[in-house]
Amino acid sequence: MIELVGLTKKFKHNEAVKNLNMFIEKGEIVGLLGPNGAGKSTAISMMASLSEPTGGDVRFNNNSILKNPAPLRKVVGMVPQEIALYDDLTAEENMQFFGRIYRLRGQVLKRKIDEVLEQIGLSERRKQVVRKFSGGMKRRLNIGVAMLHDPELLIMDEPAVGIDPQSRNYILETVKRLNEERQMTVLYTSHYMEEVEYLCDRIYIMDQGNLIASGTKEEIKQILSAEKTISIKTNRLNDRFLSLLEESPTINQVVAGEKEVTITVPKEINMFPKLINLAEKVELELRSVEVKTPTLEDVFLHLTGRALRD
Amino acid sequence: MEGIIAIWQRDIIKFFRDRPRMVGSFSMPILFLVVFGIGMGGSMESLVSAGTNAQNFNYTEFIFPGIVSMTLLMTSIFSSLSIIQDRDFGYMREILVSPVSRVNIAIGKMLGSASVALLQGVMMFVLLPVLGIGIDLVSFFQVLPVMFLMACAFSSLGLLVASLLNSMQGFQLVVNIFVMPMIFLSGALFPLNNMPGWVNFLVTLNPVTYGVDLMKHIMIDVESLNAAVREEMGLNLTFFGQPVTITGELFFLLGFTAVLILLATLSFRRANS
Repeated sequence: MIELVGLTKKFKHNEAVKNLNMFIEKGEIVGLLGPNGAGKSTAISMMASLSEPTGGDVRFNNNSILKNPAPLRKVVGMVPQEIALYDDLTAEENMQFFGRIYRLRGQVLKRKIDEVLEQIGLSERRKQVVRKFSGGMKRRLNIGVAMLHDPELLIMDEPAVGIDPQSRNYILETVKRLNEERQMTVLYTSHYMEEVEYLCDRIYIMDQGNLIASGTKEEIKQILSAEKTISIKTNRLNDRFLSLLEESPTINQVVAGEKEVTITVPKEINMFPKLINLAEKVELELRSVEVKTPTLEDVFLHLTGRALRD
Repeated sequence: MEGIIAIWQRDIIKFFRDRPRMVGSFSMPILFLVVFGIGMGGSMESLVSAGTNAQNFNYTEFIFPGIVSMTLLMTSIFSSLSIIQDRDFGYMREILVSPVSRVNIAIGKMLGSASVALLQGVMMFVLLPVLGIGIDLVSFFQVLPVMFLMACAFSSLGLLVASLLNSMQGFQLVVNIFVMPMIFLSGALFPLNNMPGWVNFLVTLNPVTYGVDLMKHIMIDVESLNAAVREEMGLNLTFFGQPVTITGELFFLLGFTAVLILLATLSFRRANS
């Protein structure tokens, strides 16, 4: 459906996106993960024809959108990271505005507004000005206005940021339902691994403008198949203990928290005797040692050396 | 077309919902009306009468079109600048990703800002009885399209400025660089006779000059004033030495609007890429 080919965006002082290659097939939910500054929003902007790349191409149904963005614009819906609603307009007026932007009018527009408001659970609040809405309600309406014209491709830029768990679930369920019932293709960017794990068929991971991993959830977790992650909780971490861990030739990676340290080691190594030995050497009390099955968060940590939400 | 109407309609709804803004935007024009009309009115009328032997010269009547022009200018420019907020808050991304063309977005925004400015300008006419100025219905309906054309020209300028600004931080700069000089260099509040050449040049290029002059010719019975008063009050406008006609003034405003909306669209496209 849509393909990014060697997409690059250079600004005066930095390269936000470097030679990005990715594709989304019709009917897929694809996740785009990365910390702040990874280049996700810049990539999305170019994909949605909002900004021009300095290199590469965006191809929609095998045609470049750089020369002719019109076919894409008719069928794309965008849920921006910010709440892009007019505070002094009612929910219904906001929907009328965005519907008309997408050339809906008259009875068709009215029917679509009724339908979408029902879907996002805001039918009863249609006449209320958005200023009086809760954060979760605004987020739902933000998604609703992007769905009005039945987009074939819905681009969602961190749509569940800063809302209560109930509203987040509502949003995730809505996206899942749209995809199942209408075969809507979705590109979903997020900081939250659990959202992406729940929703997405395939995942792309970006960091500092580069694509660092891609594939299905299982394929990405396979990156750590030769390794295991061990989480060690202590009464207090000290530098000597961390140094000893870092100096150990069997440990591939050490990531320290406040009272917890996570190490990555080859799968076949039994680390327990060595950890007990190291802890005794520096007079450290081990509270727990837990071997974890790799999550997407672990993969991210492994690839970038930092947590996704850092 | 649907996109233009949607953007225009949104500005109109916002205008009627935002009462504090509606009231607030009157404060500056009314202040000027008080300062110039009441404060300087007596002196100006005495000076003009003494210099020209004119009877019944009403200075408040002379500056009222200027005050309305000022309202149109300020409302148009500030309303157009709200496009910066649209960009900052993400509305613009949703609009730009839609099939509405960049030119239509600019035209919709220009018409929205111009309509809001026109409504605000028309509301100034409520003050006419208080000021002791009369206007007949024919003149009133003649002046409305002129006011709308002026508001379109000013809104186009506002859009161009907005496309060049990165944030609302530059807002005060816009007021200082554009709004106040355009008012003072238009003959809206006082006649601009015997000015240095470079000032005359700016006056000649200023769209407010022609808008105010058109409004004065419709609202004031200019022909009934004696030639000396017309000269003294800067009512015999010239364009690089040539006497200005009403048709010429209308074409100037139309051309100014067309050129600026084009430049704003180009600049807007560049700013959003």
